[in-house]
Amino acid sequence: MSSVLILVPLFGIIGLNMLPRNVARRAAFWFAAAVFTAEILLAIVHQPAFWTEALVRFDSFFRLKFSVDSLSRIMLICIGVVSLSSLVVAKSTVSDEKEAFKFINILITASIGMSGIVMVKDIFSLYVFLEIAALSSFILIAFNKDINGLEGAFKYLILSAVATVLMLTSIAILLLDSPDTAFSTLHNEIAHSRGNFIVTFAIGLFICGLFIKGGLVPFHGWLPDAYMAAPAPVSILLAGVMTKACGIYTLMRIVASVFGFTDPIKNTMMLIGMISILVGAFAALGQTNFKRMLAYSSISQVGYIILGAGTGTFLGLAGAAFHLFNHAIFKGLLFVNSAALEEKVGTSDMSRMGGLSERMPVTGATSVIAMLSASGVPPLAGFWSKLLIVIALWQIGHYAYAAIAILASVLTLAYFLYMQRQVFFGKLPPGLEGLREAGNGLTLTASALAVITVGAGLAFPYIYNHFLLPLKEIFF
Amino acid sequence: MNMLLLPILIPIASAIIVLLLPKSAKLLRDTVTLLSTFANALLAIMLFNKEILVSYPWVGFGFEFSLRLYNFSSFIMAAAASFGFLIALYSSAFTAAKNYSKSFFVYLLISLALLNGAVLSNNLLLMLFFWEALLITQFGMIMLGGRLAFRTATKAFVIIGASDLCMMVGIAIYGFSSGSFAFSNNMPLAGLGGLAFVLLMIGAIAKAGSMPFHSWIPDAAIDAPLPVVAMLPGALEKLLGIYFLTRISLDMFRAETGSWVSYLLMIVGSITILFAVMMALVQKDYKRLLSYHAISQIGYMVLGIGTFVPVGIVGGLFHMINNSMYKCCLFLTGGAVEKQAGTTNLEKLGGIGSKMPVTFACFLVTALAISGVPPFNGFFSKELVYDGALERGWIFYLAALVGSFFTAASFLKLGHAAYLGKADKDRKDVKEAPYQMLIPMVLIALACILFGVYNKLPIKFLIQPVLGVDRLRGHNYWGFPPNFILAIISVVVLAGAFLNHIYGVKKTGSGLKAVDHIYHAPVLSEIYDAQAKGYLDPYNIGLGFLNIFSIAASWFDKAVDWFYNVFSVKTAALLTNASRRLQNGNYKTYIILSMATTVLIVLFLLRSV
Amino acid sequence: MNVTNTDMLLLVLMTIAALWTVMARSLLKATIGLAITSAVITILIFRLNSPLAAVFELSVCTGLITVIFVSTISLTKPLTHKEILEMSKARHKRYIYLPIILVATGIALLFLKIPNDFTLPRLATPATNVRNVMWNIRHLDLFGQIIIMMIGAFGVVTLFITKDDKDGS
Repeated sequence: MSSVLILVPLFGIIGLNMLPRNVARRAAFWFAAAVFTAEILLAIVHQPAFWTEALVRFDSFFRLKFSVDSLSRIMLICIGVVSLSSLVVAKSTVSDEKEAFKFINILITASIGMSGIVMVKDIFSLYVFLEIAALSSFILIAFNKDINGLEGAFKYLILSAVATVLMLTSIAILLLDSPDTAFSTLHNEIAHSRGNFIVTFAIGLFICGLFIKGGLVPFHGWLPDAYMAAPAPVSILLAGVMTKACGIYTLMRIVASVFGFTDPIKNTMMLIGMISILVGAFAALGQTNFKRMLAYSSISQVGYIILGAGTGTFLGLAGAAFHLFNHAIFKGLLFVNSAALEEKVGTSDMSRMGGLSERMPVTGATSVIAMLSASGVPPLAGFWSKLLIVIALWQIGHYAYAAIAILASVLTLAYFLYMQRQVFFGKLPPGLEGLREAGNGLTLTASALAVITVGAGLAFPYIYNHFLLPLKEIFF
Repeated sequence: MNMLLLPILIPIASAIIVLLLPKSAKLLRDTVTLLSTFANALLAIMLFNKEILVSYPWVGFGFEFSLRLYNFSSFIMAAAASFGFLIALYSSAFTAAKNYSKSFFVYLLISLALLNGAVLSNNLLLMLFFWEALLITQFGMIMLGGRLAFRTATKAFVIIGASDLCMMVGIAIYGFSSGSFAFSNNMPLAGLGGLAFVLLMIGAIAKAGSMPFHSWIPDAAIDAPLPVVAMLPGALEKLLGIYFLTRISLDMFRAETGSWVSYLLMIVGSITILFAVMMALVQKDYKRLLSYHAISQIGYMVLGIGTFVPVGIVGGLFHMINNSMYKCCLFLTGGAVEKQAGTTNLEKLGGIGSKMPVTFACFLVTALAISGVPPFNGFFSKELVYDGALERGWIFYLAALVGSFFTAASFLKLGHAAYLGKADKDRKDVKEAPYQMLIPMVLIALACILFGVYNKLPIKFLIQPVLGVDRLRGHNYWGFPPNFILAIISVVVLAGAFLNHIYGVKKTGSGLKAVDHIYHAPVLSEIYDAQAKGYLDPYNIGLGFLNIFSIAASWFDKAVDWFYNVFSVKTAALLTNASRRLQNGNYKTYIILSMATTVLIVLFLLRSV
Repeated sequence: MNVTNTDMLLLVLMTIAALWTVMARSLLKATIGLAITSAVITILIFRLNSPLAAVFELSVCTGLITVIFVSTISLTKPLTHKEILEMSKARHKRYIYLPIILVATGIALLFLKIPNDFTLPRLATPATNVRNVMWNIRHLDLFGQIIIMMIGAFGVVTLFITKDDKDGS
C-alpha cells in the first residue's frame, strides 16, 4: 500500500484544482499539512504489513510497485518534517493567496517526487522520479520570478541536465548487460560481470551524476547560487531534503543495493566526501551572507554523510543515515531562522545584523541549538551521527579520515560561532531597534525542529534500536 | 526503578518543574529547589558507603548504561549534594532580586544531576556523556552574568571544550588499546598508555581548574553571578576533576611511584600552586583574589595525588574536600559582602567586619583554614601533602611551602583590607546578610573546624575506604601530624607571613598595600609588570617566572594569535577566494569542473578494474 | 553483433549533432541540435537491439529536455549584436582547448594502462516491442511521466502566466 503516498497527494492536488477557487485555496494548506503529517506518522509507526499489503483496487489498476524499507523510512520522515516546515513557513511568508496556492501545488509534487525516489526499487523509475523532483525544484527556485531566482534555477537546470545525461547514458549501458532495470536484477548482473570495462564505465558515470545532484565538491557549483536565490521556504526544502533525497540518499541506495561496495567506489566516495567537508567548511568560513554560508555548510555536512556511507560498513551507513536525518532537521531549522531574519531584517547579509538574539530570542536560541548539533556537541543528535561515522572510519582503518572528520567539526563550530557573533550577539546596528520576533508560524516551526534535534539526541538509544539497526537489511 | 537512578532523576525532574513554573512564582520555585536539593542530599547520605551496581542496555556495541555506587562515588556525591543544598539556600536570598533566578536554579539542578551521573557512571563513555553535558550548563550559568559574560563563557567553553576533546581522544585510545571502557583495566603506562594517561589527565585537571587551563576562572569570578562561581569552580568541578584524576591514577593505569607521570603531575601541581598564588597576592578585588586561590589550591591536590605515595594521595583527597568547603564558604562571604556593601573592590571596602560580624567570623575561620593554621582542616591536609611531597623531592615540598606562605600573606591582606581598617564613608550603614545566606556559611565554617579538630572522621570514613586499608598500612594519618619538624616549619612559615604582613602595613600604612614590597621585589616586579602588560596572559601554558620565559610565552601567545587572527583568516580567505574564483556564477565553469572530475573518477574506477 | 556502415554513419551524425549543439550560437539552434542528437541516439540504440533503452531515450530525453530548454529560452533576453560577437570570440577561444583535452585524455588513458577491453559482458535478452514495453513493463515510468507533464503545466502557470498588473517575466 506504499503507493498511497504517491496517489493520495497526486489526486489530491488534481482534485484541489478542480474545486472552486476560494475553497481550494483555503483547503490546500490543510490538505498538504495532512499529507505530510500522515507521511511522518506512517513512517514512524511502520507496520510492515501496511506497506507490503496491496491496496486492492488502486494497485491492480495502476500496477505501481513501491516498497518501503528501513532507509526509505528515515527518508520519508525527513521529507515529511521538512516539507511540513516549508509549508508552514510559506504560509507566513507568501502573503498572496493565489501565489500560496501555486506554491503548495508544486510543493506537493516535489514531495511526490521525493517520496517516489525513496520508495522505488528500479533504477529507471528512480530516474523518472528524480526528474519529477528536479522539475518541481526548478519551478520553486524561480518562484519569485526575480532575476536571481531565474538565474539560480537556470544553473540548477543546466547542471541537472548534465547529471541526467550522465545517468541516462549509464542506464542505457547497463541495459546492455541486464534484461531489466530492477535493483535486484541489476545487482546480480553487475556482480556477475564485475571488472567489465563498460559496466565499470557506466557505474562511474552514474555515481558522478548523483554527485552533481547531491552538490558535492567539485560538482557543487550550482548549489550555493540555487540555495541563495530561492525564496525562504524553498531553501528550507532544498537544503533540508531535496538535494539529499535526489543525490545523497540515491547514492547510498544505489551503491548499497546495486553497485555494491567495492574498494574503488568506497575510496571515491570517501575522498569526495572529505574534499566536500573541507572545501565546504573553508568556503563557509569566508561568507558574509547568511544563506550562502548555510549553503556551503550544507556541502560540508553532506560530505560527512558521503564519508560515512563510503565506509561501506553497517555502522558507517547507520551514521550516514542518521546524519542525513539530523542534517535535514538542523539545516531546515537554520533556514527557518534565515527566513525569519530575511522577513524581519530584510536582508541575509550578516554584516548588517548584530545583537538580534535580544530582539528575536526564539530565533537566536534555536539557531544556537542547531549550531551545536551541527558541530557535533553532545548530547545533541549531531554528536551521535558524527560519532558513528568516526567510529566506522576508525574501524576500517582510515585513521586519517577519522581525525580530519573530528577536526572539521571544529571548523564547523568556528564558522557557526562567527555567524552567531555576527548575527545574534554584539550590538544592534542602527535602524533595527524596533525589531520584533518573527511570526508564530516561523517561531513554532523553529522550536519544533529544535525539540526534535534535542529529543533525537537524548533518545539516541531508542533511535539506534528502532531506526538504525534495521538498516542492516539494505545490504544485499 | 533502581535507587541509583534517583540521584539523576530527582534533580532533572525538579529542574523541569522549575522551568515550567512562571517567573513570578518565586516562593514556589525556591521551595521546589530547596526541597529537591535537600532530597538529593538526604539520598546521597542514605546511599553513603553502599555498594550497588545497575546496568541497562544503551547505545549498543556492548556499551551499557551502567551505574556503580561505591565508597568513593558516594563520598563525592554526598559532598556535592550538600554543597548543592547549601548553595541553593544561599542563592534563594542572593538571587532574589535578580531576573536570572529561575534559570540559575534550573541550571543548578541539572548540574547536580549531571554531576551525580558522571560520578556514578561505571564506564568511561557514559561518564563522558554527563561530563560533556556539564560543559553546556557551565556555559549557560556563566552566561547568566549578562552581556559582558559572553566573552568569559566562550573562553571557558573553548578551554574546557578543548581539554575535553583531548580527554575524548584519550578515552578512545584507552578503550581501543585496553579493549574496554571500564574503569579498572590497570593499563601499563608505556607507549600509547602514556599518551592516553596524559590526555585523560588533561581532561581531569582542566575540569578541576588547574594551570594551564585556569584562565577563565578569574574572569568568571568577575562576570558570572557569584553562586555560579562558588558552585562550579569553587566546589563541584573540583570534586569531579579530582575524583576523575584519582580514578585515572589509582584504577585505570598502573601508575608507579617513580614513573614520569608522577613527576609530570607534581610539576603541574607545583607550578599551579606558585603562580596562581602569586597572582592572587596582588589582586585588588575580593572575588578575583579568591578565584586565583581556587586555582592555587588545586595545585596542592594535584601535587598530593601526583606523589603516588599513600600519604600524598590521602592528603590530596583530604585537601580536595577541605578546599571545596572553605573555598565555597569564602566565595559565599564574598557574595555576602557584594550584596550588602555593593562592591567587592578592596580599595572601596574596609571596616565592614564590625558591621557583618557573622560573615567576618566565617571568613576568619575559613581564611585560617585555607592558610593552613592549626587546628583548622587545611592545616592537616596540607601537612599530609607536605609529607608526601617531601618523600618525592625537596623541591616540591619547597614549592608547596612557598605557596603556603603567600596564601597566608594574601589572606592577611584580604581580611585586613576588607574587614578591618577604616570604613569607607559611602558604606557606613552596611548590614549583616540575611539568614538564608548566613546559614550555609556558618554550617560550612563549623564543618571546617570539625574536620580539623576531629580529622579522624573524614580520613577514616571518607578517604580510607577509597584507597583501601591495606594500602595505607604503616602510617598514622589522623590526629596531630606525626612529623613534628614539618609541622613546626609550617608554623614558622605562617608566622613569617604574619610578620611580613606587619612589616608591609608598617611600611605602607595600609592593609591593602601590605604586600606591595613583594610586588616591588627585584625579580617579582618584572613578572608582575609582564602580567600587567599581558605578556603572561594565563592562556599561555607554563608562564615563566623569569623574563625570558615571559617573552617566550608572549611569542607563543603572538604565534597563537597569529595563527588564529592572521594565518587562519588568510587561509580561509585564500580558500574562499579560490572557491569564489571557481564560483564565478558561470555555469559553464561548473560544467567543465564537473565533467573534468567525472573523467577523473571514471578513469580511477576503470584503472582499478 | 555486427556494427554496420549504417551504424557508423549514425555515430558520425550523432557526433556532428552533438558538437553543433554545444557550438551553436543561439540557444534555439542548440535546442534543435539537442533534439537531433537525441533522435539519432534513439535510432542507434534501437538498432543496437535494445528497444527498452530506446523507448526511455525517446520518451524522456527528446520530450522533456527539449521542453525545458524551450522554456528556458523564453526566459532569456535576446543578445545584442556586440554581445554575440564577444561571446563567439570567447567560445572560439575555449574550443581551442578541446583537441588538447582530447589528446591529453588519450595519453592519460595510455599511461594509466586502462584496460581497453570493450567487449560487452553478455547480451541481455532483447525486449519485446515498443507497445509492450510502454504499457506493460514500464507503466510506473509512464505514470511518472504523466506527473512530469503535470508539473510542467504547473510550472507554466506559475512562472509564465502573470497577473495583468504585474510585469511579465
